[in-house]
Amino acid sequence: MQPTTPPAGPPKRNLSETVWTKLDRKATAIAEFTIRQYRKKRSTWTVGAVGAILVVVVLLFYIDAMSEGIESVDDDGDGLLDEDPSTWTEWENSQYAGRTISGPMSDDDGDCLALEPWMRDSNDDGVDCNVIYEYDQNGFVTSVQADRFVDEDPNESEFLEEAMHRSFLLGFGKFGFLFILGIFVPLFLATGLIREEMDSGTLHYLVGKPIARAEILMYRLLGFIGLAWPYFVGLFVLSALVTGIFGPGDSIYRFSDLGIWFGILIATFLTVLAYGAVFITFGIVAGRYGVLVALLFAVWEFFMMFLAMIGTTREMGIASMSISFWGAEIINSTAWLVWGDYAMMSGQSLAVDIALWTVWYSPFPTTSPLINLVISIIVLLLITGLFVLMGQSSFKKRELN
Amino acid sequence: MMPDLDQVGEGQTQQEWQKVPEAPAIMVDHVSKWYGQVIGLNDVSLAISGGVTGVLGMNGAGKSTLLKIIVGRLRPSQGQIRLFGTDPFKNPAPYHRLGYVSESEKLYDWMTGLDFVTTLARLHGMTRDEARGRAEHVLNFVGLLDVANKEIGKYSKGMRQRVKIAHALVNDPDLIVLDEPLQGCDPLARTTIMNVIRELGAMGKTILVTSHILSEIERITEQIVILHNGRLLALGNLHSIRELLDHIPHRILLRTPDPRNLGRTVLPHPSVYGVRFPNPGELIIETNSLSDVHQDLPALIVESGVEVTAIENPDDNLQSLLGYLIGGRS
Repeated sequence: MQPTTPPAGPPKRNLSETVWTKLDRKATAIAEFTIRQYRKKRSTWTVGAVGAILVVVVLLFYIDAMSEGIESVDDDGDGLLDEDPSTWTEWENSQYAGRTISGPMSDDDGDCLALEPWMRDSNDDGVDCNVIYEYDQNGFVTSVQADRFVDEDPNESEFLEEAMHRSFLLGFGKFGFLFILGIFVPLFLATGLIREEMDSGTLHYLVGKPIARAEILMYRLLGFIGLAWPYFVGLFVLSALVTGIFGPGDSIYRFSDLGIWFGILIATFLTVLAYGAVFITFGIVAGRYGVLVALLFAVWEFFMMFLAMIGTTREMGIASMSISFWGAEIINSTAWLVWGDYAMMSGQSLAVDIALWTVWYSPFPTTSPLINLVISIIVLLLITGLFVLMGQSSFKKRELN
Repeated sequence: MMPDLDQVGEGQTQQEWQKVPEAPAIMVDHVSKWYGQVIGLNDVSLAISGGVTGVLGMNGAGKSTLLKIIVGRLRPSQGQIRLFGTDPFKNPAPYHRLGYVSESEKLYDWMTGLDFVTTLARLHGMTRDEARGRAEHVLNFVGLLDVANKEIGKYSKGMRQRVKIAHALVNDPDLIVLDEPLQGCDPLARTTIMNVIRELGAMGKTILVTSHILSEIERITEQIVILHNGRLLALGNLHSIRELLDHIPHRILLRTPDPRNLGRTVLPHPSVYGVRFPNPGELIIETNSLSDVHQDLPALIVESGVEVTAIENPDDNLQSLLGYLIGGRS
């Protein structure tokens, strides 16, 4: 191969002139250009405003719900409301009857952790210190089975409010951010990143520069992220402030929830990135049908999301064929890590159960939340990488007429 | 063994590097391009290095297709294309030395001229400041510096063409490819753009410019390539082609309030073999030596004392040139 441009001499290598700094210049140039281009488009502002309004409305509903008190309910049907210590009728007849147990006899917070580890799961469901409530189809309690020393008739105004708050956080994180906003913001903003330039006949300005097309695609995606991530951070700050201040508890702000919000943030960042990569690729591969294909994909994601809520399909891992599943898995794992008393909560409220998609009963893919978290992050990054590669190889072969 | 940090290659000194012959700027080797059943370009071979070359052809002759293949927007269906020795469709490296002005009138209307050129300059690996400096320089060169901070959407047609030229010059390219740079411009803008192109040619750049109007190309360059129906019809100096043209029957159209009087004065000229009066106020002179008549025409008009508002050469267009070239071949 003969060199095309013989240099005058051995190339000088200034620190400011290496391949990397030049790459960096091109990357920032395209990302900056992309963000400025977004700013000039009406669709960007529409999508942003609709998302913000949605979040604000949901938060208003939350404030409204939290300001109303919750009436006590006699869950175990013994005629007493929120009794503590409880009567433990079941306990008297169980296999452990007659044993002496050290520590407090019962506690409302439900952590029977004062017991020896082998004694903490007396109802044999594999979970320590919880209560199994069974509901009929109307959501009413039909039977109660508690681990020892766990109050099976909890104080509703305290626990149910906490449960509602938690299910709101998780539900809002998963459906509001991860799914609705997480999929629609990339759908509207990322699908056209290359497609619209092709259609409008302006792509040659970018492609006609000494920069590989694969890079252009990556830097356009970078520009999208540069717009979308700060936007989500803004919405998160607002949501975390409102739920932290208006949430149950005596303190001014619920700092304990910040961990959950951080989990939702990571989950949303990664899913938005993955969806962005998917949609920019659809825009290139599927041509003018890109938006249609992207919509079909969104339907698929939504379907998978519901499959993940059914215990058996969840265990089979069918739903893991979607991005939404792995994003939700990050939130599940964080909830698991942050809320140590999670088990008790999941037993007390159908709402938390639904919000957590029965993750406790059938953890997927492993039983360790930390490992699940790491696996989910890796899977989402791999999906992103895969679609970026697909988009790049299609873009490289594309003729620009 | 020591790693070759300078990437010069084993045993090659600086002198040996310089001995390597420079690949031609453009090498088109038996290139064909078809869109389904339609042939856009049919077995075109061409090598261009240095100078200003005009690509002439009617609409649909394949000019844009040829240029798009040259700049790597399209991949040839058959044959090979090399830009400074490299396939531009596979490797963007030759874009370091290329400036391309497309025929598309689409621009980023929301950007200012300066922003547009600066942003694209940064894609050449310049820093923000370098890019800005270069952008101001080239905008000044095309005469747009005073409107550099206006949005492109507010530019006139000629300004839009010039900002496209500016962006193509920002990397100080060795090769500039312009696709119909004069299309849709008013006469003033045309003159400005033609001057810019001529100036670039004088600076020693290799320039390829397309047009479907013969007189435009004539004012820019003499070296032309004629495309017709996707084929390379002629290649060479416009003068020699024009000389051939000079000796075929030609018409000159004059607009004057008194055509008959003028016709009487012109008719005795040895090269004129007929006059006609197609419409009131119009005179057509038929000749077989265009240059002779044009040489003497001013004197004849003065002699007749008739006022002439316009002189046109209805035959002096690409259509008749093509007609002649095609006719001459068959």
